[in-house]
Order: sequence, then structure tokens, then C-alpha cells
Amino acid sequence: MNFFIKTALAAAAAVFALGAHAEDAPGVTASTIKIGMFSPLSGNAMAYGFDVVNAAKMYYDKINKEGGINGRKIELVIEDSRCNANDLLAAVKKLTEQDKVFLLNGGSCSGPVVGAREYVDREKIPLVMLNASGDGALYPPSKYIYGAFSISQHAVGGSMVQFATQYLKAKKIGYINHDDAYGGWNLEAAEFQAKKDGVTLQVQSINPSITDVTAPMLKVRAANPDVLLIMTYARPVALLIKKAHELGWNKPIVVAVNGTADVNNLVQTVGTKDALKNVYLQEVMLDVAGGPQLKWVYDMYKQYYPDLAAKPGYPQAYMAYGIPSAMAVVNALKAAGPQLTREKFLDAMSKTNFDSKVMAGPISFTPADHAAQKSAIYLKFDGDTKTRVPGSYASAWTYQPK
Amino acid sequence: MSLGDIWLFLQQGLLSGLVTGSVYALLALAIVAVFKTTDVPNFAQGEMLMMAGYVALSLLLLARLPYVAVILITLVVMSLGGALFQRVVMERVTGSRGVGVQLVITTLGLAYLLRGLVRQTGLGDTPRSLPSLVSGDTVAIGEAVLTKLDIAIFVTAVVVMLLIYFMFTYTRIGKAMRAVGMNPRAAQIVGIRLSRIRMMVWAMAGLISAIAALLITPKILITPDIANIAILAYAAAIVGGFTSLPGAVVGGLLIGVVENMVGLFISTNAIVVAPFLAILVTLILRPQGLFGGKVQVKKV
Repeated sequence: MNFFIKTALAAAAAVFALGAHAEDAPGVTASTIKIGMFSPLSGNAMAYGFDVVNAAKMYYDKINKEGGINGRKIELVIEDSRCNANDLLAAVKKLTEQDKVFLLNGGSCSGPVVGAREYVDREKIPLVMLNASGDGALYPPSKYIYGAFSISQHAVGGSMVQFATQYLKAKKIGYINHDDAYGGWNLEAAEFQAKKDGVTLQVQSINPSITDVTAPMLKVRAANPDVLLIMTYARPVALLIKKAHELGWNKPIVVAVNGTADVNNLVQTVGTKDALKNVYLQEVMLDVAGGPQLKWVYDMYKQYYPDLAAKPGYPQAYMAYGIPSAMAVVNALKAAGPQLTREKFLDAMSKTNFDSKVMAGPISFTPADHAAQKSAIYLKFDGDTKTRVPGSYASAWTYQPK
Repeated sequence: MSLGDIWLFLQQGLLSGLVTGSVYALLALAIVAVFKTTDVPNFAQGEMLMMAGYVALSLLLLARLPYVAVILITLVVMSLGGALFQRVVMERVTGSRGVGVQLVITTLGLAYLLRGLVRQTGLGDTPRSLPSLVSGDTVAIGEAVLTKLDIAIFVTAVVVMLLIYFMFTYTRIGKAMRAVGMNPRAAQIVGIRLSRIRMMVWAMAGLISAIAALLITPKILITPDIANIAILAYAAAIVGGFTSLPGAVVGGLLIGVVENMVGLFISTNAIVVAPFLAILVTLILRPQGLFGGKVQVKKV
């Protein structure tokens, strides 16, 4: 009897303590953890986020079905940020102030997500990005922000140069990037890598809304590099490959992951497969989409979204990127223990290191580096099939505080 | 940079610039025609181009119509759309004693409406392309290279510009449009119906948008952002003199060439700035534009 009373009192105390902490930590109750998600779910950037959110959702649902995290189920509140800075900030504010979520897990477009940094820092709410590179929010590191689960733009640039140097044996590299912060980030690491590898870069920076790519392509051709690296979004990629073909360019072209959201669409918009004869695509997952090593993700998607999976164009190219981000959140929530606070969660995030079985490299954070993934694989593409090139290529660039 | 490179850059920059410039010129013509007859700068011209592209794309992908039918229907839809907008919206704003700024805001409203409509179609999520009626095979002109599509774009744009010139110079409707542009009250006194002429001008703006979209989108692809091409058309109109139709044509070709030359000889970063630089230089050296005539001082 005495034992029964003691046990009951201990249980009551535990429940009370849990409840007290639930009050301390916004979005946490004795039975739930509220997570705010946001991403472009509509509009012309939907390809960057719609299925990424779906992937994260199915992973969270799987965790809930397995019993949740330390006895709590995950509850999601999802907003459409439309790849637009104003919409994204509005979504972040709503999730933080009205929905009072415990943490934010969102962001598929770098520029807009970087715009939310100041607010996130001020509100001291953890933000774990989905698939945005978000270098501007990661360097210098913020205590509250973690990201680059797909890859950071710095790592994109460094890896591309390393691939061109090591695999394609290039000594002189043509490099076309955007003239915005996004382009600046990948160029910084590309220049670092080029210097390290002893090769030269011939850089042309263009506006994302450029209509006539004659000038950049002609200047690259005149410089006579061994390979052309294209770091732009999808539309300029198609325009540049078309123009390269028109100008008789027949050397290798490597397209960064930034512009490969929809490869079928790339083939259609380029208009001729002849232009794609010597093209390589950067890929940040460990295998070709739908390949044997990623079969489990694609099977899971079919199981959760049978109607969507039956539609042409689905799953979208970046779908699987949602898994590592959700995995990192779940792992850190588990490590933070039942007495959950934001501080404990952030501490656990800073020690995260695991193999997602999705991405080309490990998901690894330290207190000084909040960018998760730095490796990429490369696929030879001929307009129809993708063939994996052996090995993976990682950027050597690291953030140095100024 | 070697002399050979400079010579190649000059040839390629000029020819490619004339091709894209011819499309800027078409759009600038539409902007100037609307401005001359209604005193309203149409800030939805780019969105009308974009809409024409998506109308054609919808007919092609969703309705699966043959491309010839797609072209004809797109031309009709955009012309009717332009005329209806003038008749139903602009006419009412003018009728309710709307001043210039309200009319300008109305065109901005149209721009947002068209962008919203395109967003609803779901077709704007990735860059898309209309099929080209001409092959993408290349043709060497000197050391420069153009595709057959480039040549078709330039020739068609020039033919359309000549037709517009013919209409303004030799037809009754064209003369009536010019009269409304010069002095609407006097035109009304001699029996020209202002609302009808303005409807026709807006219909022409819609038609030109459709032609420009069908010409240029197989080359530069369709995204909602192609509406921004109107900025270049505005630059062309300002450089040419905002009330001069030949000026709009020359301005458009000039902007196309300047864009390329700046990109080739200065920096590719500066391509996007080139049209604004052209506007600034024009406004400083010749505020009325290249074909804007003498500066007039109006009594107020």
C-alpha cells in the first residue's frame, strides 16, 4: 500500500513537472509538440517546397505511429510561404505568435528565409530549415538557426569546382552564376576551391531575369575554358544550354542542383537533345531519384500519397530533401529528453551527427557550423537517362569568422 | 580580349540585339499607341504579354488544340480582352471623372489581376516553352550565328511594325487614332467616337502582346516573370520619345543592342542596368527622346 502511494505520488509529481515545463516551453503539452512548417506550396516556386513538406509530413507521421517522441505526438501547423520574403515572414510570425509553435521547420527558398533571420533571433525560436541553402542565415552562425540539409550554396560552388578539376580534369573553368547574394555565396567557395586546386575560373554573373544570354555565353566561349559550370536557376540554365548549342559549344557543361528541379522540363525547354549530349547534373542525394538506395523514400511516398504519386511530375525532384530535416528535428527532440525546452533542443541540435540514408554526405552540426550537408554526386545526362559518376565531391570551404 | 574577339562580339551583339530588340520595339509600340490616345501609360503591358503566353500554353496543354488554332484564338482572346478592359473598366473610371493617376492605378490593377490568374492555372510553377514554328537550326551571318527562329522573330516583328505604320498612315482608323492622340476634343467635334477609338487601341495593344508572346516565348521561355520585359519596352519608348511610334521602334532596337554591347564590353552584371542607363542618358541629353520633337511649353 505504502509502495502504491509512493508510486502514485511520484507519477503525479512527474506529470506536474511535465505540465510545468509544458507551460515554460511554448507549443509543448504533456502529449504534444507543436511544430510550425512553411514552404512554397503554390505559385511558380512550388517545385522547391510542396513535396518537400509532404516528405517531412510523412516522416513525422511515421514517428507518431511509432509512439511519438518521449511520449509526445508531433502536431503540425503548415503555412504557404510562396518563396516570397513577405509571405514567409508573415507565415513565421503567425506560427510563432498566434499558433505558438515550439519550433519552426521550414524554408525552401534561400533569399526569403534569410530575411526571417532577424525575427527568429529576436524571438529566440528554433528554426530548422527544410531544403533552403540559406547561407545568409547560417554564416555567421545564429544560435537559433540550422539548415542546408540539401546543401549550402557555398558547398554547391566548392563541390562543382572540385568535380570539374578532379573528374573532368579541367584547368580552366567557365563559371556562370547569378549576380545576387545566392551567386555570391557559391562563388566565394568556388574561388576558394579553385585556388586550392590550382585552376582558374572565368566568371560571368547574370541577373536571374535575363532575357538574352548571348553576352555571357559568348564571353565564356571566347575565354575557351575546358568546362562550363552553370550555377543559375532553371530558366537561365535552359537559355544558356540552348545558346551554348547554337554557338557550337561541345565541351562538358555541369549544371548545379539549383537548376535541376525538373529535368524533363529542362529537356523540353531546351528543345533538342543534341544540346544535352555532354551535360552533367549535380545531385545532393546519395543516389539517382528513385534509385535502389533511395527506394525506401519513394516507396514511403507512394504509400502516403497514392493519388499524388500517380500524377505525372510527382514526386517532385526535391521531395526527399524533406526527410533529413525532419530526421534532425526528431533526433534532437529525442536527445533533449522529456523535460523539453528550446535551450535543450538547440543544444541537442548543435551535437547532431547522423547518416540520413538520403543525402550524399552526413548531416552534421557543430556549435560553430550550422550547415548540415556539404557533399554532392554527379550524374551524366544525355537527355534521357542519368548515369551516376563514381564518387562524391565535397567543398573544402569552411566559414572563417571575420 | 583580341581584335578577333572584338569583331565577333560586335557582329553577334548587334544581330542578337536586333532580334530581342524587335520584340521590345513591338511592345513599346503598344505602350506608345495607348499613351497617345488615352494619356495613360499602360503598366500592364508586360502582364498582357505574359497572359498571352499562358493563354496559348493553356490551349495547347489543356485544350490540346492544334497550334494554328492556338495562335488564332490567342490573338482573338487578347484583342477582345484589351478592348473589353477599355470599355468596361477604363471607360468607367474616366466616366466617373477619374484623373490620370486613377487610370494608371487601374492598369496596375490589371497587372496584378493577370498575375493572379496565371498563378491559379498552376502552369507558372516551372519555365515552359511554346513550340517554335521555325526550326532551331543555325545560320551563319559573317562570324555571328543566329537561329532560323531568331530570323523569323525579327522578320515577323518588322512586318508587324510596317503593318502598324501602314495602318496609322493610310487607313481611316489609323488617322482617327492619330487625331485622338493629337487633340481628343477636336477629334470628337469632327465626329470621331473617342470610346470606340480607344477600345480599338487597347485591342491593338492586346493583339501586339499576343504576337510578341508567340514570337519570343519559344526563345526566352514563359514564366510569370517575363512580364518584366515591359521594363525594357518602357525604356525603349522613353528613349524613342514617349509619343513617337517610329521612336518606339528605334528605341526598342537600340535597347536590345545596347544590352548586348554592355554585357559583352563592360560586364554581364551590367546588362540589367543598361536600359536604365539609356533612359538616364536620354533624359539628360534629350529629355523629349530621340524622336520626341521639340520641347513644348504648355500654358497652364
